[in-house]
Amino acid sequence: MFDELIRSFSDMIYLALIKEDRFNFLVNGFVVSVQLTLSAALIGVALGLIIAIFKIRNKGATASFANAYITVIRGTPAVVQLTVIYFVVLAKSGLPAMLIAAIAFGLNSAAYVAEIVRGGIMAVDKGQTEAGRSLGLSSFQTMRYIVIPQAVKNVLPALGNEFIVLLKETSIAGYISIVDLNKGGQHISSITYNGMVAPLCVAYIYLLMTTTMASALDRLERRMRAGD
Amino acid sequence: MISVTNLYKSFGKLDVLKGIDAEIRRGEVVCVIGPSGSGKSTFLRCLNFLEEPDKGDIVLDGVSMTEHKKDIDRLRQKAGMVFQQFNLFPNLTVIDNITLAPMKALRMSAKQAEENAMRLLSRVGLEEKATAYPNRLSGGQKQRVAIARALAMNPEIMLFDEPTSALDPEMVGEVLDVMKELAKSGMTMVVVTHEMGFAREAADRVLYMDEGIIYEQGTPAEVFLNPKKPRTKEFLSKVL
Repeated sequence: MFDELIRSFSDMIYLALIKEDRFNFLVNGFVVSVQLTLSAALIGVALGLIIAIFKIRNKGATASFANAYITVIRGTPAVVQLTVIYFVVLAKSGLPAMLIAAIAFGLNSAAYVAEIVRGGIMAVDKGQTEAGRSLGLSSFQTMRYIVIPQAVKNVLPALGNEFIVLLKETSIAGYISIVDLNKGGQHISSITYNGMVAPLCVAYIYLLMTTTMASALDRLERRMRAGD
Repeated sequence: MISVTNLYKSFGKLDVLKGIDAEIRRGEVVCVIGPSGSGKSTFLRCLNFLEEPDKGDIVLDGVSMTEHKKDIDRLRQKAGMVFQQFNLFPNLTVIDNITLAPMKALRMSAKQAEENAMRLLSRVGLEEKATAYPNRLSGGQKQRVAIARALAMNPEIMLFDEPTSALDPEMVGEVLDVMKELAKSGMTMVVVTHEMGFAREAADRVLYMDEGIIYEQGTPAEVFLNPKKPRTKEFLSKVL
């Protein structure tokens, strides 16, 4: 009885992962998920910073744009944004699906990054800016050397959280026929008519990635706490 | 060296400064006293344009600040400011706090800025704290570093905004000593303060502010021993 269970279990693993090198679906999917996350994070941070500055300056059209942007992105599901951008906005662009997905996830992340960064900058005491300006530093220099370094420390935990959310969010990339980690797992399930091994493996790999990110961020945070 | 004419400033509906005229001469130590809410700090902050006046003009070394807003960063370098809450940069060590502005705003070399910073630190008696972070310092030490930081820009005038008000009583003396030494060295200073003892001892002139104007002024002896106007008398009777 017990032997039989073990045998059927190892059969399942063999079918799902070993036979015809099916583990490659997971390996390739993993690579795709990492690439998507990294490129989207890059776009998200760059664009998020700009939107945050628009909001902080609170002047004219740029501020209205920033507010509208955050409202729309936060108010609609990521999977809807992804499909709208792929099938409507950039449908005729001829860009590869990977690039479109990176843009879509980046645009999505930017709204959240903007709010995080804005909070971090506002949390830096106004006296810091005044001290910088009173020493004759320009407003840019004051931002660059005094406010931003302190804001980065403030926002690191929330930003790390956002990257973890972003990584998990990329698991909807399959909606536009990208074979990411999640989609790779689904392929294995449908080939093998077995919906147990692959999803568990996928879940485990995601967990491994997020815990790695979390501990890397933890270390970075501790290193930056020098002056506290 | 600074002349202020007809200065007005309001925050929303609150009129804080209602027509200030003042002249600060080179080498002079001017103390600004008065009740809370009388506009002392706002007046001081207008002197280096941390607050932008609504009306009136401030002329620093013959250059009108209202007419040269684009050069405000360069003009500010002439006026060092010391704040009530110190406002040291917590992410930088003491020496980096002092060298940042000379290196970035004056393009001084790192070596020169550090030598200068160490000289200033020894002047305020804190050489051994050069590599410490601000959170390792007492309030009095923080304020002395803040003074050194402002001096590092080689300002022509130093502005002090209630520099001892946030300090524990036993640390007030060490900061005032540094300020007295600075005054003796010939630095032009404008000091908003509640330390009447300091004003009496170190000031060349005392401005008494009340309700947004300079209500009375004179030498410390004139203002403290022989105030002429009723509100000055009332204020001094409360604080002396």
